[in-house]
Amino acid sequence: MEEPSGLSSMKFFSDQHLSYADILLPHEARARIEVSVLNLLRILNSPDPAIFDLSLINRKRSNSCINQGVLTDVSYIFLSTSFTKSSLTNAKTAKAFVRVWKVMEICFQILLQEKRVTQRELFYKLLCDSPDYFSSQIEVNRTVQDVVALLRCSRYSLGIMASSRGLVAGRLFLQEPGKEAVDCSTCGSSGFAITGDLNLLDNTIMRSDARYIIIVEKHAIFHRLVEDRLFNHIPCVFITAKGYPDIATRFFVHRMSTTFPDLPILALVDWNPAGLAILCTFKFGSIGMGLEAYRYACNVKWIGLRGDDLNLIPEESLVPLKPKDSQIAKSLLSSKILQDNYRDELSLMVQTGKRAEIEALYCHGYDYLGKYIGTKIVQGRYI
Amino acid sequence: IFVADCAFLGFENTLQRDMEGKISSSEDTNLLQRIKEFTRLVIEDLAEGRSPKISINRFRNYCMNPEADCICSSDNPKGQEILTLKREPQTYRIDMLLRVLLIVQKLLQENRHASKRDIYYMHPSAFKAQSVVDRAIGDICILFHCSRYNLNVAFPVPVLVEEVEDIVSLAEYILVVEKETVFQRLANDMFCKLNRCIVITGRGYPDVSTRRFLRLLIEKLQLPVHCLVDCDPYGFEILATYRFGSMQMAYDIESLRAPDMKWLGAFPSDSEIYDVPKQCLLPLTEEDKKRTEALLLRCYLKREMPQWRYQQTSTSFCIYISYNSTKTSLDENNFGRLRLELETMLERGVKFEIEALSVHSLSFLSEVYIPSKICLEVTSP
Repeated sequence: MEEPSGLSSMKFFSDQHLSYADILLPHEARARIEVSVLNLLRILNSPDPAIFDLSLINRKRSNSCINQGVLTDVSYIFLSTSFTKSSLTNAKTAKAFVRVWKVMEICFQILLQEKRVTQRELFYKLLCDSPDYFSSQIEVNRTVQDVVALLRCSRYSLGIMASSRGLVAGRLFLQEPGKEAVDCSTCGSSGFAITGDLNLLDNTIMRSDARYIIIVEKHAIFHRLVEDRLFNHIPCVFITAKGYPDIATRFFVHRMSTTFPDLPILALVDWNPAGLAILCTFKFGSIGMGLEAYRYACNVKWIGLRGDDLNLIPEESLVPLKPKDSQIAKSLLSSKILQDNYRDELSLMVQTGKRAEIEALYCHGYDYLGKYIGTKIVQGRYI
Repeated sequence: IFVADCAFLGFENTLQRDMEGKISSSEDTNLLQRIKEFTRLVIEDLAEGRSPKISINRFRNYCMNPEADCICSSDNPKGQEILTLKREPQTYRIDMLLRVLLIVQKLLQENRHASKRDIYYMHPSAFKAQSVVDRAIGDICILFHCSRYNLNVAFPVPVLVEEVEDIVSLAEYILVVEKETVFQRLANDMFCKLNRCIVITGRGYPDVSTRRFLRLLIEKLQLPVHCLVDCDPYGFEILATYRFGSMQMAYDIESLRAPDMKWLGAFPSDSEIYDVPKQCLLPLTEEDKKRTEALLLRCYLKREMPQWRYQQTSTSFCIYISYNSTKTSLDENNFGRLRLELETMLERGVKFEIEALSVHSLSFLSEVYIPSKICLEVTSP
């Protein structure tokens, strides 16, 4: 099912169907649910009744492909048209089959009430109404993704609340419809919180005179940089998702990249597999949320912390990799999407068995971070 | 909020701008002077060939004394340690204290902030472990009778409390919620618009900055504070942290706790009153039971308990509280029943989250549960 990526890009993907999730308004999402139910009823009512299998877009790695941007620098993961079948007659998938319908039922009710629900609340409702089918939060989350895959609409469209952990600060003005513009350089050292409301983000007007967008992995580093007002020395905008990025923060970064296409997007992460994984999520998207991923992928470059910076930090700051790190490294290395220079960095981590945090640079003083970033930008040392 | 030349938080301060336009308060200058003075004394001792004697008080905010006749309820120190250069481990402790003090001095002079982690990374070979830095910071706070944020070793979130000139609010009460998801639910329901209040979440265990900010709100606005946590050991520990302070920061109790905080819920008894379905009651794990038992051993839960009864009518949920003994402030805020409720929870062997209350109706929390509980606080004797 996998074609060599070189050949695919020559065909401009005309033969591969891109599966993606739409962002829908409540009545549109309800309509899709109604269509699914009507379909089921129609078939049950027909002279030759049968319960058809649910064809869900396969969310496994084998069905993920990479679109290597030919005309642009953006590559992203997307899920192709391979389906996995969830069948009522198959003992293994029977419960999964029913779970999908149960979730759709509740989402329909939520959408009718024009409300939103958190995944935890959804879990309790399902636990209460259908205790035989739902026993854990993970099952609920997976079923939600199944519904996303079936109806081809985003999780947010189903009425599930999206929270955002993202913060932004720097040379950026944000104007929500009907409100005054917010200056992100005067938001204090905590920055401005990015809303989880994707519709609102879509309609926010952005203005900036920055020259760079810098994504920061950790909250503490973000704080440091914003407190030092580094965006006044290097005209830029700082964004953090405080770890693994949520959809809203990625959406925000993506919007910035389309609004300001000439601004390089640079990522400042720890030198460890988890940091690189975070960078890759911004850059390519994720398989678990595959149908929504492509929308928010951006051309992110890795500015630090990198292998050639290790001579800047003391020996004691190089600590051993944790077992989880090794797992993440293995998973990343086996992915076909990873470019060679990233692969080399990962291999170095695995070979030496070490990792380092950005804070290690503080041994030169806590204002060293600003100089480090400035130097790297000026010398163009990002990959 | 960032204004020069103002009086705030009871300090009569004039603010000076340094060359880069940063503001440093004279409260900081005071601390800097004291640091200099302390260092001078140490050097004097050394110059005259004797070991400095550094006295560090010990603090705790609770103990496991079964008699509950302890002195934990007072904020005074419970003993002290005297560090000298005569013993190796104490020498090490003094060394670390001085190293961190040097960094703190720089932070104060430049009016910057750093986290404890950042400080560790400045000299990892000397500090060797984060815990060493943490202890040194604790020692410095006790020595100088100040809080961690006075040393600039805490990121000011959401705002630098010392620089707040004034707070204006139309709120009638403050609601502290344990979880961010509950916060989102209330935000989604426009709770603050329909009920005049301020909602805060510490997103789990509250950090120093959040607790300090809450304290600021309480002091400035003089509003009642209600706390909403899950009905499980984790939730109760968070409740205790807000109310009684944490052991780690026991030396800094004054500025970090909320002594008049009321426990809004969720009580174990709520699961019956509000009809939580059986499936939503999760079983207590072994870990849960151990934590609850440990919590019950804490001396502050053993204060005198009144007898209380409650009655429930079918049309309205009313709780009548009758006292057979003297009212203590613990009772007025429902903390008097914390012990009883914890024991009930252990007995029943189940716990539940706030979200379980909303299974019948998503707006139950905002429209029924919280308002009715707050109304009770106002009307109960």
